[in-house]
Amino acid sequence: MTATTTTPTPAPATPAVATWTLTWHGVRTVAALELRQRVRSSRWKAALVVWAVVVGAITLLAGGVLALFSADTARPDDGGALLFAVVAALVLGLGLLVTPTLTSTAVNGDRAAGTLATLQVTLLSPAEIATGKLLAAWASACAFLVVSLPFFLVALAMGGVPVTTLPRVVVLTALLLAAVCGMGLGWSTLAARPAGSTVLTFVTVAALTVFTPIFFGLTYPFLSTTQEVQVYGVSDDYWAQQDEGIGSSTAEPTCELSVQERAVARTEWTWWLLAINPFGVVADGAVPPAALEGSANPVQTLRDLRLGTPEVQDECWVEEDTSHAVPPGAHGGPVWPFGLAVNLLLGAAGFVTAVRRLRIPQRTLARGTRVA
Amino acid sequence: MAADAPPPPPDVPGPAAPGPSAQAVATPAPGIEVVGLRRAFGAVRALDGADLVARAGAVTALVGPNGSGKTTLLLVLAGLLVPDSGQVRVAGHDPVTDSAAARARTGWMPDAFGTWDSLTAREVLTTFADAYRVDRTRTAARVDELLATVHLSEYADQPAAVLSRGQKQRLGLARALVHDPQVLLLDEPASGLDPRSRVDLRILLRRLADEGRTVLVSSHVLSELDEMADDAVFLSRGRTVAGMSEADATAGRRTWHVRALSLRTLTDWLDASGVGYRPDGAGRPTDPDAAGGVLVDVDGETGAAALLRDAVTAGVPLVSSAPAAGALEQAYLALEEERR
Repeated sequence: MTATTTTPTPAPATPAVATWTLTWHGVRTVAALELRQRVRSSRWKAALVVWAVVVGAITLLAGGVLALFSADTARPDDGGALLFAVVAALVLGLGLLVTPTLTSTAVNGDRAAGTLATLQVTLLSPAEIATGKLLAAWASACAFLVVSLPFFLVALAMGGVPVTTLPRVVVLTALLLAAVCGMGLGWSTLAARPAGSTVLTFVTVAALTVFTPIFFGLTYPFLSTTQEVQVYGVSDDYWAQQDEGIGSSTAEPTCELSVQERAVARTEWTWWLLAINPFGVVADGAVPPAALEGSANPVQTLRDLRLGTPEVQDECWVEEDTSHAVPPGAHGGPVWPFGLAVNLLLGAAGFVTAVRRLRIPQRTLARGTRVA
Repeated sequence: MAADAPPPPPDVPGPAAPGPSAQAVATPAPGIEVVGLRRAFGAVRALDGADLVARAGAVTALVGPNGSGKTTLLLVLAGLLVPDSGQVRVAGHDPVTDSAAARARTGWMPDAFGTWDSLTAREVLTTFADAYRVDRTRTAARVDELLATVHLSEYADQPAAVLSRGQKQRLGLARALVHDPQVLLLDEPASGLDPRSRVDLRILLRRLADEGRTVLVSSHVLSELDEMADDAVFLSRGRTVAGMSEADATAGRRTWHVRALSLRTLTDWLDASGVGYRPDGAGRPTDPDAAGGVLVDVDGETGAAALLRDAVTAGVPLVSSAPAAGALEQAYLALEEERR
């Protein structure tokens, strides 16, 4: 042995380490450990390259196709808006596909590898370990987002989209991916096996993205009834006269209130299913308020779902201003703050679960697992 | 939560007191005290009333068959498991109610040591120095020193994935030492080590104990523990079944292997002097005049010395005489506890 002499020095005052103690030093230590471990693996670089190629190829091809078609029409702006929507949906969709794997094995994977307990016995607090892991995973997810930025710019260059849309989309996507990281982290502490927590995380993400529209669609018929509702629109008489050639064809159609039978869906009970959908959140939150005009917008349709059936249905396209007949407030406000909050709350719940389950000494162990 | 405990009072007595190692050895404040420790996993009672005292300044062996609760006991001591009942003190701190203070003073090396494959040995140690909040200005020097101690300096900047099992084990030991702990808990530290590394480990643990630290080593390789342990604690079915100190090992009744140039002369003399013996299983009965040995039970080393003196005086051509097996092994086998 070497002749180094290490006499036990008086231990310095032990820093107070409670469950929720959070220091930048501790978080950085864990995050650096996680990132080093991840960044050095060649899989990670390959994943980024594949990501760039896939997003790039789809963006450029879609852009080409749209340019081809919009050359015929008089409104090239529509092509730009559509391409931007395609890129945003693609990046969010792929992000939701990749991100769960970043944290879904963060805790039980480390436990299986025998590296978690050695970290837990140090003076790092459970909150620092969980935050470090969350931060590292989120940074990795954001790397995919950064790689996608050039393609957002390509879509933006085609016009039709306000420039302020880009930061809104990027920030919303990043926040949603952070929420997914938190959910994965929570599952990775609840499930004993890495495979189990990965499946649970994917099921959670699928529940938010795929199951919500399915449930919305499937419940729609049950919520639909045929009712007599007030409609403000061009009267049937006008059309009848037109058909029979009685009235003068040059007569201006006029709107009037009438009671008609319509299929009415009580979507005020199910609108939230679409509002918490990450795609709904980004779609709704992406558009700057100033750019949102007119009710023909799909985003406005999403917002209006919350209101269910308006007192008076506005079907008058003749008059510019129908406010004298249709009560104001018939258009719903933005729903993305609600959807984003739900997603972030789920992520926060996962994070809190992780911190609580990382506390030592442990009282209970998951069946079939060892501490170390 | 246990970690919410207030910081320890500054005047904690115990081996933490600065000073030369001689002082710590002279007044051996208990490094680890365990009384009536119980811990069950479902229906399995892993620990069922274990008692243990490990002195500061000594290497204490934790001996027991597979499944006897050694690892569980070390997990409780390391502050990872809450015991169902019983008192635990590690370096004067309760790992449950005063978790952080106990953890700050404890170095734990698990039996299954995982490692971060992409990190280099140096990065692993630096990370843990950070995690233990070691003063950053001292970290680099401390890491270099530890790498030299475990003879991994030449692998310092290699990813841990290329290290062999024994090298990883040594890295694990260095990791447990990174914050200069007063209490060392080592679970099977010698598994996977080559003979040279075992000798190094023995010398290192000896030195750490001489510096006044408490060293608790678990193993079921008894010959290995025999060479380094001052005291021994035997665990069986989660209970402490016996303790043994250095004095017991030299004074207890043990079996010696006595070998002579002529087996017949030896056995004749033993018969004449009325000393009981057993064949050692290696002798060839076809040739009783050939060299050979027998096993003799004697009372400690004094008894062995008396037997040899008498035999030599009687003209028996003795070749060698040594304990037939390690003190721990004999004490362990004498317990006749079954495996599970």
